[in-house]
Amino acid sequence: MKISLTTKFAVRTLGRSKRRTLLSVIGVGIGCAVALFLSAFMRGANEMRVQGIADSGFGHLRIAPGGWEKSRENALRLQDGRAELETVRAMEGVKVAAPHARSTALLAFGTRVAGVELLGVDPPAEQAISRVARAMSEGRYLNPGHKGMTVIGSTIAERLEVELDDDLFLTVVREGGEMEYAMLRIVGIVNTGSRDLDATICHVTLEDVQQFTGLNGAGEITITLDTARKVEQTASYLRTVIPEGDDVLTWKEVRPAQGADSKSDQAFMNLFVGIVVVVVMLGITSAQLTAILERRREFAVLMALGMKGIQVIRLVLVEAAALGILGATAGLLLAMPLVYYTATTGINFSAIIGEGTSMSGVLFDPVMYSDMGLWMIPRALFVALISTLIAALYPAWYAVKIDPTSALSLREA
Amino acid sequence: MKNTLVDATNVKKDFRTGKVVVNALRGLDLTIHEGDFLSIVGPSGSGKTTLLNLIGALDVATSGTVKVFGEDLSTLSRRKRADLRLKSLGFVFQAYNLVPVLTARENVEFVLELQGVGSERCETAQSVLEDLSLGELADRRPNELSGGQQQRVAVARAVASRPRLVLADEPTANLDSKNAEALLEMMRHLRDEHSMTFVFSTHDPLVVSYASRVVTLHDGTVVSDEMKNSVADDGKTEGIG
Repeated sequence: MKISLTTKFAVRTLGRSKRRTLLSVIGVGIGCAVALFLSAFMRGANEMRVQGIADSGFGHLRIAPGGWEKSRENALRLQDGRAELETVRAMEGVKVAAPHARSTALLAFGTRVAGVELLGVDPPAEQAISRVARAMSEGRYLNPGHKGMTVIGSTIAERLEVELDDDLFLTVVREGGEMEYAMLRIVGIVNTGSRDLDATICHVTLEDVQQFTGLNGAGEITITLDTARKVEQTASYLRTVIPEGDDVLTWKEVRPAQGADSKSDQAFMNLFVGIVVVVVMLGITSAQLTAILERRREFAVLMALGMKGIQVIRLVLVEAAALGILGATAGLLLAMPLVYYTATTGINFSAIIGEGTSMSGVLFDPVMYSDMGLWMIPRALFVALISTLIAALYPAWYAVKIDPTSALSLREA
Repeated sequence: MKNTLVDATNVKKDFRTGKVVVNALRGLDLTIHEGDFLSIVGPSGSGKTTLLNLIGALDVATSGTVKVFGEDLSTLSRRKRADLRLKSLGFVFQAYNLVPVLTARENVEFVLELQGVGSERCETAQSVLEDLSLGELADRRPNELSGGQQQRVAVARAVASRPRLVLADEPTANLDSKNAEALLEMMRHLRDEHSMTFVFSTHDPLVVSYASRVVTLHDGTVVSDEMKNSVADDGKTEGIG
C-alpha cells in the first residue's frame, strides 16, 4: 500500500520540533494513562460488584414470579419451579441454579427475640452458589432432607445469646394469616465478617419453609453464570423457555440500588475521564496552534500552490492523528505497570472498610482488582485519537484562514 | 496573433491599515500574452507583488477586472480560485519555500497529489526533475540542497503539471549570478519547449536582461511596457546548468 504524501508530510512534521512533539506525546500519554487506569479500575470494581452480588446468594439472574419485581412479595411462588430448575441446570453457561423460598419470621430464645428473613434453600446448591453458606465459623451447613435445623448468622447468635445445638422458637405467619410455631435446632453459625450481614442470616431447608408457610414450591431460582458478561444474552434466552407468568430478572433488577450504583460510578468515571481529556485537549490545542503559527508561511505557500481548505484540514488532522497514535502508545506504556499491579495484587481497602463489608445484604471483598485486557488497546486509541483530533480542529481552522498572498512576499503571513 | 492569458483592466487595489488606506494599484491596465517572458519592475511599493497576487488568484481587486484565461477572478469562489492555481498556474517564490520534510521528488509529487494524479505521479515527478537535470537530487531534502538547487526544484514543482502561466516573485533574489543565470536559462527552455508563459516580479537586472518584455510600475500604474530582445534570444548565454 502506497502511503500518501500528505500522510508522510504530516508524520515527518512531527519530527521537526522533537521537543514539542515529545512533550505533546507525554501529555496525551499521561491523559490516556489516567483514563486507562480509571477505566481498568472501574471495570474491575464493577466486575467485583457483580461477582459480590452473585456470590452473596443473589446470582447473576433470577427467575421470579410475575409481579415480584414490583411487589417484592415473599409469598409469590413460581409457576413450575421444579421443571424450571431442571431446564436452567441443563443450560450451557449456567454455573449453579439454586431454588429459594423466603418468609419473614421471628426467632426467640428465652426472653430474647430477633426478626429475620427465613431463607429456604437446597443445601448443596446453596453452598455452591453463596459464599454466605460457605462462611461457617461453627458447626456445619444444612443437609438435604433434614428438617427442623437452621444455620444462623453470628450477630443473631450473639443477640439471642445462643450456641450450637440450642433450640430456637420460630414464629411465622402462614398464607391464611394464622401463626405457625416451630422449633429450630442450630446446626451451624455463619460469620461472613460483616456484622450487618450476619444479623440477617437464617437458613433452613426449602421443605421447612414450605411447611411453615403452607406455600408449595420455590419462590425464586437464583442463577450464577460462568461469566457475568453473558447476563443479558442468557436472560433473553431464558425468557423464551420459562412458563408464562414468571419473569427473568438480571442482578440490576434484583438489586436496583447496586444497579444504580454501577451506573452512577460509570457516569462519574466518564466525567472524570472527560475532564482529563479536556485538559489534555487544551494542551494539545495550544501546542498545535503554536506549530501552525510557526508554519504560517508554509501553509500560505501550500494554499498558493492550490491546496484547498479541506486538504489543509486533512493535513493538520493527520498530524494530530499521528500524535494521537504515539500518545496512545505512551499511554499504554505508562498505564500498563500500574494496571498490571492493581490487576494482580489489587488495592486493599480493608484499612478503610474493614475485612468484610456488606451493603444491602451484599458481601464485598475489601481488595479491589483492576481489569487488565486487550480492551485497553482500542480504548487507548479511542481516547488519544478523539482528544488529539478534537484538539486539532481549531488549529486546522486557523490554518485554513491563513492569507495565501503572504506566500509571495517575505512579510509575515 | 498570440492568445491573451491575462487581461487586467482599470485594476485598483486598496489596503486598509487602521484608518490609513494604501492605494497599491491605481487603475492598472495590463495584458499578458501566451509565450511572454515578462519582467515586472519598479521600486519597492510600486505594486509588483500586489499585481502578482491578483494575477495569481491569491487576492481579488478592489475594483476593475482581472481576467485569467478568460475567467473574471472576482466572480470565482475561494475554492475555484484554488482550483485555478492548482491546475493552470505555477508559482516560484523568492525564498524557495519547499516543504522541508519532503525530498525534492516528493515536493514535486506533492503538487501532483493535490491535483489528484494517481500512482503515476512519482514517475512524473522524477521525469520532470530529470528534464530539468535535477534527477540526481531527487532523494535529497531541501536542507541538503544549495540555494540554487532548491530554487530549481521549486521551478520543477511549479511546472510539474505543465501550467500555462508561471508567476515568479523575485526568483533570483537569493541566488548568486551563476545560479541565477542557470535558473533563467531553465525557465527560457521551459517556455520554448512547453509554450509556458513566465511573469517575474524583480529588481534583478539579470532577469530583466532575459525578459522579452519589461513592464515598469510606479505608484500602482504601468509607466512603461517595452518589448525587447533578451540575452538568451541573442545567444549570449549557455545552456541549462
